[in-house]
Amino acid sequence: MTSDRTATRLSRILALIPYVLAKDGAKVSEILERFGYTEAELTRDLNTVFFCGLPGYTPGDLMEAYIDGDEVIIDAADYFARAPRLTSMEALGLMAAGMAILGSGQGSPELGKAVDKLTKALLPDAGTAVDVDVSGDSANLAALKSAAIERRVVRITYRSLSHEEETVREIEPWAVVTTLGNWYVQGYCRMVDAERVFRVDRIRRMDVLDEEFERPENLTEPGIGYTPSDDDIAARIRLSPRARWVLDYYPVDVLKETKTGTEIRFTSPDAEIPARLLLRLGPEARLLEGDEVRERLVAIAGTLRARYR
Amino acid sequence: MQNVVERVINLLIYLLDSPSPVTAEQVRQTVAGYGEQSDDAFHRMFERDKDLLKRMGVPLELKAMDKWEIDFGYTVDPDEYAIPDPRLTEQERVALSVAARMVRLGGANAGLAGLLKLGGVEVGAGIEPLAADLGAEAAVLGDLFLAVSERRKLEFEYGGSTRFLDPYGIAHRRGHWYLIGQTADGERVYRVDRIAGLEVGKQAGAFVRPKRFHVKQAMSTHPWEAGTDETVDATVRFDPDVAWWAARHLGAEAPEHGPLEVELPVANRDAFIGWVLGFGPDAEVLAPAELREQVLARVEAAVQAAG
Repeated sequence: MTSDRTATRLSRILALIPYVLAKDGAKVSEILERFGYTEAELTRDLNTVFFCGLPGYTPGDLMEAYIDGDEVIIDAADYFARAPRLTSMEALGLMAAGMAILGSGQGSPELGKAVDKLTKALLPDAGTAVDVDVSGDSANLAALKSAAIERRVVRITYRSLSHEEETVREIEPWAVVTTLGNWYVQGYCRMVDAERVFRVDRIRRMDVLDEEFERPENLTEPGIGYTPSDDDIAARIRLSPRARWVLDYYPVDVLKETKTGTEIRFTSPDAEIPARLLLRLGPEARLLEGDEVRERLVAIAGTLRARYR
Repeated sequence: MQNVVERVINLLIYLLDSPSPVTAEQVRQTVAGYGEQSDDAFHRMFERDKDLLKRMGVPLELKAMDKWEIDFGYTVDPDEYAIPDPRLTEQERVALSVAARMVRLGGANAGLAGLLKLGGVEVGAGIEPLAADLGAEAAVLGDLFLAVSERRKLEFEYGGSTRFLDPYGIAHRRGHWYLIGQTADGERVYRVDRIAGLEVGKQAGAFVRPKRFHVKQAMSTHPWEAGTDETVDATVRFDPDVAWWAARHLGAEAPEHGPLEVELPVANRDAFIGWVLGFGPDAEVLAPAELREQVLARVEAAVQAAG
């Protein structure tokens, strides 16, 4: 198996040649930035190109490729005059990236034009066949994004995911992220004095304050999801095959998996979430263990009975 | 690695430049780097190199060398090799590069490698505090995109049975990728991460996509709109506490204070009842009566299943 590094290197060479050919030579500094080269890498690749060409491989058959002063020169490479086509994943990746950012309401007119042109070039007869929708509340997203850039503290009225109750808190927004179909803001929560992740659609009100905060350096990839703690309640639940989708949407541990069902452990800071999930699932889930969850479920069911009867 | 890169570039030049397909033996005798190898070593090497070119997106094909189809040879059509140039301006490329840096697909930045082929960008953009993860289920997405763009038929395993599909489009919704297409029983939607054993048809242009097809319209906005139940208009009331939140989900105007009452077309009752019950005690289906009974039945079933 040829390594991915070889493929990456080849791919970059085949992108470089047509670019330099079309411009009839290009500044070294521009090529380094544009193609992400170090000077040593560029020199090595040009030396390789210099030894390639048409069969016969006499000096007249080989490509010309060298650095002349501050310029990259490539010549005698007509067969590489045009850039190679994108792989399916590259093409889809670029289009999807553009569509996702446009869909979040954070795109620019240039991005819109770029996605249109790409779609026409890559999907000439299937322009309406690919779509990415990550839309969220674009006003909230835009405000959080600028607050993150300007490092301004934000006061939010938040309906907590785990307790179904509202709190007002000041947060320092570091990043705004979408994953698994929801938008999140990652940052420091002054109310609990710790790093937290909030779902943007659960922010009821939001005020950007004048106060600025300091963003931690070396910010890592935001971790979305939930880390169980010792105080959590745990329930053991058996899902029917029809309820297996739960695995895709909740952070659960799979305990046992058979043709007739899946046994999971569901941990949560309080009983509300698993109780509501069981309510949704009705006969498709069986609670095997978890008294607090059962109590909560029975309580909600009582309220609902009173409403519906 | 130096030798591999040189050899593969030479191979690609030979294939692009030859006016007709060439045999493996011709490659061996002509292209620098293959000649001095034993039979076995050459074949292994040639297989690896072909594989590498294909992975990079080079349209390497095996074609008949004569009209009697006795001998076959390798060829790369220069027109197929080259990108259909979208002619992006530098500003458009920069916008795309920023987007690609913000979006992850299959655990990597989406399409950044592709952007180099379009001419790359001179960097200089700062850190973007916005990011989107479009899922890790990328393994089959490339093949699905290919099948959609070249109109190739698909065969795959889904939910325990084999499906045959003319793929019309793909869409990303609520955190997951979906494949939409035509089966013998009508238009169907599949979750991409549940597709297994995917086989892409050999023939391009194997079906006609209806002119009116539009993936946005084929994908319903809410799960309860996609279904085969007889459509009913359901009236739901959301209590003041959650009214703003429900309104946001529905794209409706949130009331200043007080509850929210909306009428929604429901084609999948199961999904709809599940969604309403997700609001716990704070939401109530007001009409029709028949749907109210189904909600209550689900509640009783849940209590019973909890033991």
